[in-house]
Amino acid sequence: MTSEQVSSGASVPRRVQLSESKFAGSLVPLQFSRIVSGRYNTEKKQTPTFTSIIPFLPPSTSTMDTNNTEPILKVTGLNVFYGSFQAVKDVGFEVRAGEIFGLLGPNGAGKTSTLSAVEGLLVPQSGTILVAGINNKEKPLHARANMGVQLQSTSFQPELYVGEIIRLFAGIHAIEMSDDKLRSILSAINLSDAEKKKFGTLSGGQQQRVSLAIALLHDPQLVILDEPTTGLDPQSRRQLWERMEQLRTNGHAILLTTHSMEEAEAVCDRIAIIDHGRVITTDTPQALIDKHRNDPEVIAASRKGKITLEDVFIGLTGKSIRS
Amino acid sequence: MQTVIPTTSKAIISLLRADLTTQWRNRRAVVLIVLVPVIILASWKGLVVKLGGAFVLSNCITIGLTAIGLMGYSNSIARDRDKGVFQRLRVAPVSSWSIMFSRLAVQLAMILIVTLAVFFAGFYIDKITVTPAGYIMAVGAAIAGGALYLSIGQVIVGLIKNPETVNSTCRLVYFAFIMVGMFGELGMLGDEVTKIVRWSPYGVVRHIVSSSLRPDLWSMDDTISLLLTFGYTAVFATLGIKWFKWSSK
Repeated sequence: MTSEQVSSGASVPRRVQLSESKFAGSLVPLQFSRIVSGRYNTEKKQTPTFTSIIPFLPPSTSTMDTNNTEPILKVTGLNVFYGSFQAVKDVGFEVRAGEIFGLLGPNGAGKTSTLSAVEGLLVPQSGTILVAGINNKEKPLHARANMGVQLQSTSFQPELYVGEIIRLFAGIHAIEMSDDKLRSILSAINLSDAEKKKFGTLSGGQQQRVSLAIALLHDPQLVILDEPTTGLDPQSRRQLWERMEQLRTNGHAILLTTHSMEEAEAVCDRIAIIDHGRVITTDTPQALIDKHRNDPEVIAASRKGKITLEDVFIGLTGKSIRS
Repeated sequence: MQTVIPTTSKAIISLLRADLTTQWRNRRAVVLIVLVPVIILASWKGLVVKLGGAFVLSNCITIGLTAIGLMGYSNSIARDRDKGVFQRLRVAPVSSWSIMFSRLAVQLAMILIVTLAVFFAGFYIDKITVTPAGYIMAVGAAIAGGALYLSIGQVIVGLIKNPETVNSTCRLVYFAFIMVGMFGELGMLGDEVTKIVRWSPYGVVRHIVSSSLRPDLWSMDDTISLLLTFGYTAVFATLGIKWFKWSSK
C-alpha cells in the first residue's frame, strides 16, 4: 500500500485510499466515525449519504440540494477587517468530499481569521462561505450543523465529566445518546474508563481524542481541525493522522491548519499557503515543491540539499519571524 | 440532503443541564453566596426591632443578589470565555442567545435560592413573618434586582477580558456596594451619601425588595425605585452586551 500522490494536476488530487488492513493494529480509531454515526460493522461506503445514516429522528430538518460534484466548503472573495486593518484579503478556496485541504501560513498571516469566518465565529465584511451548499451568513445554524470543529484551544467546563460533555454536545446536535452508545464512543477512542473523569484530568492526547470525538458526533460533511497535533507526542500525532485519513476515506472533507510542514506533506491532498491575508499559492504538496524548487529563495532556505515543503514555505513567506 | 439542527428547546435543555451540573459542582461558591447574607441577618438580630424586619431582610437579600451578579455570574463567564468554552459551543448549531439564556437561567435559580434562604433564616432566627403576598412580591422584586446586578456583572466582563482582573474588579465593586450601600443607608457615612445611596443600584433594589415585603405600604417612591431598577438594568445590559466579546483572545 502506498500513500503517494496519484495526481498532481490542477484538478482535485486523490491519494490512493488507505486500506483498513494497514491500520489493523489501530482499529479503534479507524472505526470511530462509524460508531458515532451508527455505521459500525456496516459495509464501507465510498460516498456516504450522511442523513441516511444518522440514527435518530431529526426534530428539525431542511432539505438541502447538495450535488456531489459541488465542494463541501466553498470560500470566495473573503475579506476580514479588524478596524482599519485588513486581516484577510479576497481569499478563496474549495474543499471537496474525500479531501484533506491544508491551510498554511506563518503567525498573523490570516489563517485564524479565515478559519473563524468559516466557523461562524466572526462575520466577514464581504465574501461568501458555503458549507455543504449552505450560505453560513444566511443560515448559520444549518451551516454549523454540517461542520465538526476541533478548535486549537478548546476547553470544556472543567466541572463536567467527559460523559456529560459528550451528552451536552449530542443534545446540541439533536442526537439521542444512550448509555450503550456513549460507552461505544469512549471505547472507540480508547477511553472506556473516562466517562466519569473530568476533561482537565486527561492527558493532551486524550483531550484531543475526546475533542475530535465530539467534533464527529453528528457525522459532519466538513471537519475543521485547527492545529490538532500541537503538543502531541509522535504516537498520538500518528494516530490522529490515521484518523484523518480514515475520515477522508469515508468521504469527509477536512480543512486542516498546521504549522508542521511534515504533517501537511504527510496528510494533505492540497495546500493553500496564506500570507499577509492573501492566498499566495494552492496546489498539492509535491506540485508546490516541483513548482518552486528552482526559486532562489527556496534554494536559500534549503538546509540539506533536498527541497522540502518547509523550504518552499519559507521561500514563499520569508525568513523573518512574525509576531 | 437534509441538515439536522436541534429545536431551540432541546438545545437549551442540554445547555441548562450542563450549566446546572457545573453550578452544583461549585457548591462551595454557592454556599458562600448564600451564607454571607444569612450571617449578616443573624448578626443584625438586634436591628430587627429598631429598623423593622423588612429593612433587615431586604438588605440581606440585596447583599446576596450583589454577590450573585458580581461574584458568581461575571467570574464564571470570564473563566469560560478565557478557556474557550463559549467558542466551542458557538461552532455548534446553537444560537448565542441560547447559550446566554441558559447561563442566566442558572443565575435565576441562584436568586431564588438566596431569597428563600434569607426568608427561612429570617423566620427561624429573627421570627420575621410576612404575608404570602409579601413573599411572592419580594421574590419578584428580587428577580428584578438580581437582573440589575447581573447586568452590572455583564458590563464588567464586557469591559475586562482577563479573568483574574475581572475577579479582582468584581471583589472591589462588591465590597464598595456592600460597605457604601449598607452603612450609607444607615446614615453612618453622612446625609449626602445616604441620599446618593438611596437612588443608587444598591438603594433602589433594597427599597423595592423592602416595600414588596409590605405591599400595602407601596408608595410612589417605590414605583420610581422599580422604574429606576429597570432603567439601570436596561442601560447596563445594553452596554454589557455591546462591549462583550465571546473570546478573550
